[in-house]
Amino acid sequence: MFSTELVAQTAISGVMIGVLYALMALGITFIYSIMRMINWAMGEFYMIGSYLQFMLVAWVLGPDLWWLAILISTAGVFLLGLVVQWGLIKPIFKKPPEMRDDYATVVTLALLLFLRSIATGLAGPNQFTPGSTLPIMMIGPMPMAGARVAAFVFALAALGIFWAVLRYTWYGLALRAASQSRVGVQTAGIDVLSVDRVAFGIGVALAGLAGALLAPVFLVFPTNGMITTVKGFEIVVIGGLGSIPGALIAGILLGLIESFGAAFIDSAYQNIYGFLLVLAILVLRPTGLFGERGREA
Amino acid sequence: MTAAQPLLTVDDIHAAYQPGVDILQGMSLTVAPGGFVLVIGPNGAGKSTLLKSVFGLLSPHRGKIELGGQPIGGMAPHEIKRLGVSYVPQELNTFPHLTIEENLNVGGWTLRHDKARLKERFERIYEIFPALAGRKRDKAGSLSGGQGRMLSVAREMITEPRLMLVDEPTVGLAPNLADQVYELLQIARKATSAAILLVDQNVSDALRHTEDVVMMNLGKVKAAGPVSEFGEARVHALVQECLLG
Repeated sequence: MFSTELVAQTAISGVMIGVLYALMALGITFIYSIMRMINWAMGEFYMIGSYLQFMLVAWVLGPDLWWLAILISTAGVFLLGLVVQWGLIKPIFKKPPEMRDDYATVVTLALLLFLRSIATGLAGPNQFTPGSTLPIMMIGPMPMAGARVAAFVFALAALGIFWAVLRYTWYGLALRAASQSRVGVQTAGIDVLSVDRVAFGIGVALAGLAGALLAPVFLVFPTNGMITTVKGFEIVVIGGLGSIPGALIAGILLGLIESFGAAFIDSAYQNIYGFLLVLAILVLRPTGLFGERGREA
Repeated sequence: MTAAQPLLTVDDIHAAYQPGVDILQGMSLTVAPGGFVLVIGPNGAGKSTLLKSVFGLLSPHRGKIELGGQPIGGMAPHEIKRLGVSYVPQELNTFPHLTIEENLNVGGWTLRHDKARLKERFERIYEIFPALAGRKRDKAGSLSGGQGRMLSVAREMITEPRLMLVDEPTVGLAPNLADQVYELLQIARKATSAAILLVDQNVSDALRHTEDVVMMNLGKVKAAGPVSEFGEARVHALVQECLLG
């Protein structure tokens, strides 16, 4: 039962799904680290990314151009994020900071219900899949679904670009600085509300990217963002709110725990294993693995 | 405050964090180009609120603020910064997880498209503050309190502002470090010809460095004039008047 091949396959599969979960967690934690607010509608941006991917692949581009559909879906969610920040979030941040995060919670919860209702109204309760023409791929001796491998590679590339932008560009420097002191970036002459807009756009685009990449795996329906959002928050608790390295490492950890739990204990309880890890972290290290001290971006 | 063309004019401003509770209640002052004005007053007089209002972090709902004759009241901080105003807030204004060089880069944000000028300003800053040059790759969080304050001021000097707003720069520092901070401000002033509007509770030390004094109480001017008119005895009497009503 405990063959080396099975362990290796389970580990690879756990890392692959973990990196995709990490995209969602990164989006949550990135927006929090800059704006000090939780966007409770992250799952709905994931859902929109998945619907865009489905529509583009099924109706416009075809399954062979799935990669182009992913780029367009992510860009679409990014633009939607800019509009939402401009119309709903920015007015809150223009006022003095009292109760800002409370207002943001109410606004994003309302947005969650609004977007979910719109999706249900337009697409009904049906489940869709964009389908994939990618063949089974061999990772070493192990066969893996092509769509999963492609999603993993795309997610890694996106994380690499995200890191490079933060590390090597002027705007990345402004984002890293804003996460440490909002007054500090204002005294430097940086428009903090425009930094917020870009941060919100990037954060929801990461969720949209996860939705588009996971559309062939987890299907497309109005509440498909819910489970991934819960996993995103689990990762944030494990890794530490505001920690970008924490989101990535905790994402992989969650993927591995779910994968091993499903393979060696019982696959029916796959979603429970992550919660057990969350409980353990809350007892042993309430600030998460990388807590506040690890926050850099 | 005697120059015919003030650099900064604050005229009868009213500002509040909560509607109906004005912290500034008709505050007025002027700062001459290259001048040094010290604002003193008891806690809650509105000194820090005055600086926040000038820098655009708080919008006055009445009165006017002008920089070189141009109205700036209600502008956003990044717009005011581009007009040549720098603000050194009371709390340590550094980014602890960024290196010293990255901190200075953030300070040079408005010059980011002019690489030659930015390089020249960096060289100047490192010349003035060799302690920072030697540790440019270190995280700002590893600096001591005095060095952190140095970095805060250096960051605001990069743009060579016309006016520096400085809020209680010596709070929480040991007395010997406080002296260094005042020297730092004088260096900044000489190096960039900037005017300084300083808010300070450390009155006896700050009086040795300023040219003009404005005493605030309850959101407006209690007394103002050249530093020669503010001997220790008068300051003492004024503070007592403010506190006892």
